[in-house]
Amino acid sequence: MATPALKVTNLRKVYRRGNVAVEDLSLTVEEGDFFGFLGPNGAGKSTTIHCVTGIANPTSGTIEIFGLDAVKNYREARRLVGLCPQEFNVDPFAKPADIVSWAGGYFGMGAAELKSRVNYLMEQFELTPHLKKTFRELSGGLKRRVVLARALVHDPKLIILDEPTAGVDVELRRVLWNYLTEINQDGRTILLTSHYLEEVERLCRDIAIVARGRIVRQGTKDEMAGTPGSLEHAYLVATGAEADHVAGQ
Amino acid sequence: MSVPDLKPMGVNWVGLGTIVRRDVQRMLRVPIQVFIAPWSSALLFIFVFGYVLGGTMRTIGGHKYIEFVMPGVLMMNIITAAFLQSSSAIYFSRFMRFVEEMLVAPLSYLEMVVGSLTTVVVRATVTGLGILILGLGFCATTIESWPLFVFWIVAVSIIFGLAGILVGLWSKSFEQLNMPVVFFLTPLSMLGGSFFTMKMLPDWLHWMLWANPFFYFINGIRGAMIGVDEAPQGLSIALTLLMIAALGGLVWRLFSRGYGLRE
Ligand SMILES: Nc1ncnc2c1ncn2[C@@H]1O[C@H](COP(=O)(O)OP(=O)(O)O)[C@@H](O)[C@H]1O
Ligand SMILES: [Mg+2]
Repeated sequence: MATPALKVTNLRKVYRRGNVAVEDLSLTVEEGDFFGFLGPNGAGKSTTIHCVTGIANPTSGTIEIFGLDAVKNYREARRLVGLCPQEFNVDPFAKPADIVSWAGGYFGMGAAELKSRVNYLMEQFELTPHLKKTFRELSGGLKRRVVLARALVHDPKLIILDEPTAGVDVELRRVLWNYLTEINQDGRTILLTSHYLEEVERLCRDIAIVARGRIVRQGTKDEMAGTPGSLEHAYLVATGAEADHVAGQ
Repeated sequence: MSVPDLKPMGVNWVGLGTIVRRDVQRMLRVPIQVFIAPWSSALLFIFVFGYVLGGTMRTIGGHKYIEFVMPGVLMMNIITAAFLQSSSAIYFSRFMRFVEEMLVAPLSYLEMVVGSLTTVVVRATVTGLGILILGLGFCATTIESWPLFVFWIVAVSIIFGLAGILVGLWSKSFEQLNMPVVFFLTPLSMLGGSFFTMKMLPDWLHWMLWANPFFYFINGIRGAMIGVDEAPQGLSIALTLLMIAALGGLVWRLFSRGYGLRE
């Protein structure tokens, strides 16, 4: 069997002051997949993503990225991952091209390659007219574009997008859907979290639903969303049934 | 294709260089605060203590008072510049969370610390050279030993760069970030002999200088500039290197636990 793009095994994350964000979570994303990671607010999606990408340290469990341990072989593993975080973690006084270029530099990209890549991404996300503005002067949608460009700068094989379309307008959403479909067809693996179920139905091939730090349902899109509205039904049953179960204890 | 063909990575030199490039670019956004402030304060010292009060002040060891004071002024500015550079850079990147840009990248903690300290040394050196040039231009100072001068600027800026990293990692508010300047940096440099010699103090207060690390820094650079020192250079250098080792070890321990950086 081919090495999965991402393999999370028994991940547990307890924040300081004892807040258990991820209980016990296992997950496999095959290479080339377009994977939907769904769940209610506070379910532990972002925390899982933070453990995978190196923003947080896992409390226990293992994470492998293309077979590389994300903690022990972090240098090799991180080069393969690009993250578009849920919240803007950007120097507000920096300009779009610098933000993307610095990120590429951290990933070890040489000057010439980096320059043409940054230019390409500025074009691709229609940021070229806004190069003189600082990040804080950009509108919400433009900010999102900068963060997306930053995630893609080193052309990662695994792209993790944490609610990339939350609060963005229809146009950017379309641009993004097309672009993601395109790079997925080129062989990039994508993991996406979203609260828009129609977006997930449209893009994703495999889906995992998480609630209270555990996977409560996993399967292909076709299994869960065979008929219109059935993904929503599956989602509500998976997350709601869990709540009833807890309440009934 | 399964596992991509990746060569194991040695030192991420490009990443390290990028940290420095970014920090220098960010520093140059506030050139008045970074460079003009210390240079203009040095000019004011030269004007007040050299020109206005010059004739009325006594000489110390055959040196004009302004010559005696300049190394202290220079050292105080280097200490502040180094501390503010690393503490504010780290604190702000944590506060705005863009430190995560580095956490998701193939960068080691050592590369992050070295990158941060490189900018500190650059800023302190430019600050110090500017003050030295002003001092030489207005005949307010001399230079006895270039190697010692460079040593003191680099060593002291590393010490306070490291201290700034600690405070930047620890602070939870801008108020906490400024506390060390108010409670340690300013008083200890004022009491560390920037403006007076040990001989001016009564015997029973001499311990106040010997026990103050800033005394060795000020004394050291004064030796390098005007050749006057009250403590042996060897002792000052040894103590300073010890402090670098101790602070470096502490920063290393905190970084390797992800303190203040990784949740
Ligand atoms: N930095 C943090 N410190 C403490 N608790 C946190 C932190 N980040 C998230 N949490 C908590 O962990 C749980 C999971 O949050 P999160 O992973 O953001 O969920 P999701 O992304 O699925 O909405 C929540 O209860 C949240 O309050
Ligand atoms: Mg989230």
